[in-house]
Amino acid sequence: MSTKTYSVGVLLTATVLAFASHAATPAQRPEQAAAMKVGLRRITETQYRHTIADVFGPGIKVEARFEPERREDGLLALGSAMLSLTSSGFEQYFALGRSISEEVLSESRREAAVTCRPSDPAGADDDCARHFVTHYGELLLRRPLTAAEIQSRLEISARGAKQAGDFYAGLELALTSLLIAPDFLFRVESAEPDPAHPEQYRLDAFSKATRLSFLLWDSTPDLQLLAAARSGALHSQQELDKQVDRMIASPKFQDGARAFFADMFQLDGFGNLVKDPAIYPKFDQSVAESAREQMLLRSMDLLVRQQGDYRDLFTSRQSYLNRSLAAVYQVPYASKSPWMAYEFPNDSERSGILTDIGFLSLHAHPGTSSPTRRGIKVLEIFMCQATPQPPANVDFSAVQDSTKGTVRGRLLDHMENEGCSGCHRRTDPLGLALEHFDGLGQLRTMENGTPIDVSAELKDVRIEGARGVAEYLRNEPKVPACLVRNVYSYGVGSKTYGRDKAYLTAQTQAFIASGYRFPTLVRQIASSAEFFKIVAPKSKSNAPIAAATVTQLQSTAE
Amino acid sequence: MNSIGRAGIALAAFAAPCVAMAAWTKAYVVEWNEPAIYYGAKAGVIDPGTDCPQGTNPEIDWVKVLMEAGYTREEAEWLRNPANPTRSPVHGQNQMAFRGKARANVYVNPTSTPDPGLVGVSGTLAEGLDLDGNAKTGFTSPDGEKGIDNNFYKTVGCWKTYRGPRRLSSGALQFNDSMRNGAWTTLIVVAGQGDDPMNDKDVNVGFYLSDDKMVKDGNGNIAPDYTFSIKPHARYEAIFPARIKNGVITSTKAVSGVLREPAYWRDLELERAQIKLTMKADGSLSGYVGGYRPWEHVYKGWVNARGPVIEALTWVQLPGVYYALRRNADYSPSGAKGEKTHISYALRVDALPAFVMSPDASQQVAAVASYKSLAPAETGRVSGLFPQVVDGIFIDPKAKQQAGPNAVITPPENIAKAKE
Repeated sequence: MSTKTYSVGVLLTATVLAFASHAATPAQRPEQAAAMKVGLRRITETQYRHTIADVFGPGIKVEARFEPERREDGLLALGSAMLSLTSSGFEQYFALGRSISEEVLSESRREAAVTCRPSDPAGADDDCARHFVTHYGELLLRRPLTAAEIQSRLEISARGAKQAGDFYAGLELALTSLLIAPDFLFRVESAEPDPAHPEQYRLDAFSKATRLSFLLWDSTPDLQLLAAARSGALHSQQELDKQVDRMIASPKFQDGARAFFADMFQLDGFGNLVKDPAIYPKFDQSVAESAREQMLLRSMDLLVRQQGDYRDLFTSRQSYLNRSLAAVYQVPYASKSPWMAYEFPNDSERSGILTDIGFLSLHAHPGTSSPTRRGIKVLEIFMCQATPQPPANVDFSAVQDSTKGTVRGRLLDHMENEGCSGCHRRTDPLGLALEHFDGLGQLRTMENGTPIDVSAELKDVRIEGARGVAEYLRNEPKVPACLVRNVYSYGVGSKTYGRDKAYLTAQTQAFIASGYRFPTLVRQIASSAEFFKIVAPKSKSNAPIAAATVTQLQSTAE
Repeated sequence: MNSIGRAGIALAAFAAPCVAMAAWTKAYVVEWNEPAIYYGAKAGVIDPGTDCPQGTNPEIDWVKVLMEAGYTREEAEWLRNPANPTRSPVHGQNQMAFRGKARANVYVNPTSTPDPGLVGVSGTLAEGLDLDGNAKTGFTSPDGEKGIDNNFYKTVGCWKTYRGPRRLSSGALQFNDSMRNGAWTTLIVVAGQGDDPMNDKDVNVGFYLSDDKMVKDGNGNIAPDYTFSIKPHARYEAIFPARIKNGVITSTKAVSGVLREPAYWRDLELERAQIKLTMKADGSLSGYVGGYRPWEHVYKGWVNARGPVIEALTWVQLPGVYYALRRNADYSPSGAKGEKTHISYALRVDALPAFVMSPDASQQVAAVASYKSLAPAETGRVSGLFPQVVDGIFIDPKAKQQAGPNAVITPPENIAKAKE
């Protein structure tokens, strides 16, 4: 035990020194001399999990709590560029790194993980350790390690091996050191002078590979992509197209698409979803998790497997159920498998993702439905239309008294407040049309003994019920434009601005021309020069390259 | 015929037995079942009431019982002392089995001891069904129906394991907890040929097992509307021809059938079985399944649940249960003059709406039919729940002192002396 404790101390010291050494000497190769950091995004939980599974195999356990993520402008992907790491978060990553290293280098797995054999299993072997560190370092840090980074891990490994009398114990320390490296936990994007335009910068090839990989696979680049980056081939449009096609054809594209839609649909909200069991006894954590999965299965099936029309997401009666969800939907579960495809009947009010209990329950109160919340989220998620927070002095008591009449009547009273009516006129009609679904998403036609009216007027459009909302969204031009904006922002980790308008418009038109096919959209964006565009400073900073920050770059660009 | 065709037919055969579709079906999952024990007290389990004017059977003075069985006071007190080696919180006091004539095991030979008695129900009200069609025999139901046959209740209704308000007796709680936590699932399918499920003269009601577990809701109750597939079972199945009037389902013909019983003895083998179930406005189903059951199985169930533990914790002498069941038995399958091997009984059932599917889960059941032909043959019967319980006592091969007629039961100093 004391040996391990000492090793941890050595490891921490060496890791910090290694990072400091890397940060202080960023340029190891002549072509990196003018490189600068242009982006820093903390990797998400799913990115971490996918990376570990891709690098070490799916059997490695990743058991930890991850630091909370932050949603900005509708996407966690944008928030990830603003996140740091708390000390307790670092402790979690450290513990996780140790447990992963231990498992990867356990007796049963080490043969697969370490392709070389140490000359002395009870001592240090720099050659074998170098091979290990170089190989996994590149996969984890998404770029080749510098000589200093390799050397520091070799020292850790040698020291650990000698101390424990075990070569693999030393490697464990080196691997842990990689797993807690800032360059692993954060996606560090680097820019380099563009040879074709000497005054401009471009993302370096490894940063390009990383952008591609996290957009398309939600994971680290594989060896083939890294090789294309290493050779510089990835800078060519031909190679870029080839890699994008290869990656979209891979089964891992589904992971990337799932991660994107989980972010866009704000499915992280299920982690905090609560319902009053006295009102919605069928709700529990299992139902919540199932509801989340249902939304993703529906989306993946339609948009990735079938490569269907994105607009069908709002109207399709094809969905997926498991036994718990079937009970909430009050339909039989005709399968022995954990999930089954299910088509709601023609005359069902259920059609499209807005009538999934996931959407309906997530955007409701613990004990009641909420036309306002649902309306806000329809606008925000699918049309990229933000709604301001309510004024601080609003009296909600009339709206919250759910024992009388229907929510429509209560909201109409509420809208007499002029401070509220502006937004509610915009948000509520879409939500009121979904009122045949209670706060859990169960079908109903009455509230407090009063029939529920699901007609609504939105500007000049009159909609009727959930199907009306679905048809409205299907025909609303903001819907495809919003998806395009989200895919782009998600991939580049940055908001869109006025300067992006022409590009986004063109992408939207191409998306529509493709028949609203999601994979085509992703291919278009990932293959476009704008996807790798960086915001370069107007004039070269005199500050050391390592000190250049995203903030500086953005402020000069605005 | 090619193999695919054969496989298709085999699959279809397993999906559902061949039977005409009903005009309508309703399906349920049993979320609670317990012996129909009418509770006549205002509160409490052991308190007097109209059912048991003296309250439940009183706590037993086991030293006295053992002395009456031939043990000396010293031996009896030593046996009852928890500090002594033949008394174990795990298996109770095995030596208590040997209190019959010539130290016979009273669990396997209950008549080796005189009837110690069991206080039975002396009230006139009971829940259940009129099994013999004779309004002059039996109890009166709480709502005034005459001729309720439930001698099981008469026998054990003042036993504190069975007694208590609806859904609150300790025995019902124990076994329903087990069922609700997944030990077994019973399904009910009601299928009719008419056009009004609340009034239909031609109805069949099937009781089946399922391997699919019930699911609890956010309040810890069983959630309705879940889906269950029928598990064809060679034993557990019962089908009742019935009619429905104003939502009340009653048997039109007595049948034989076996249900999974919420008790140590799992088989509820009913002869001349009938049902009376009410379809409630909230979609649930509630009522009784009644019939005559082999009374000796009830006794064996308790014996095999570790006789000494049952006796000590539930305040009965099992030989007394044996005598009382035998005394109150009221039915002979071989005719009126035959040995009364069966006792009238009613199971109180509460069920929730559910979706019930064919065994392969491919389709909702559209009729009530027997699935026994699809069931694998039973490989053997296990009489008790606990494999180490033999003849009512817990056999621990590693125990330093084994129970038996000649086991050492004297105090330690005498044991030491005996070893010299």
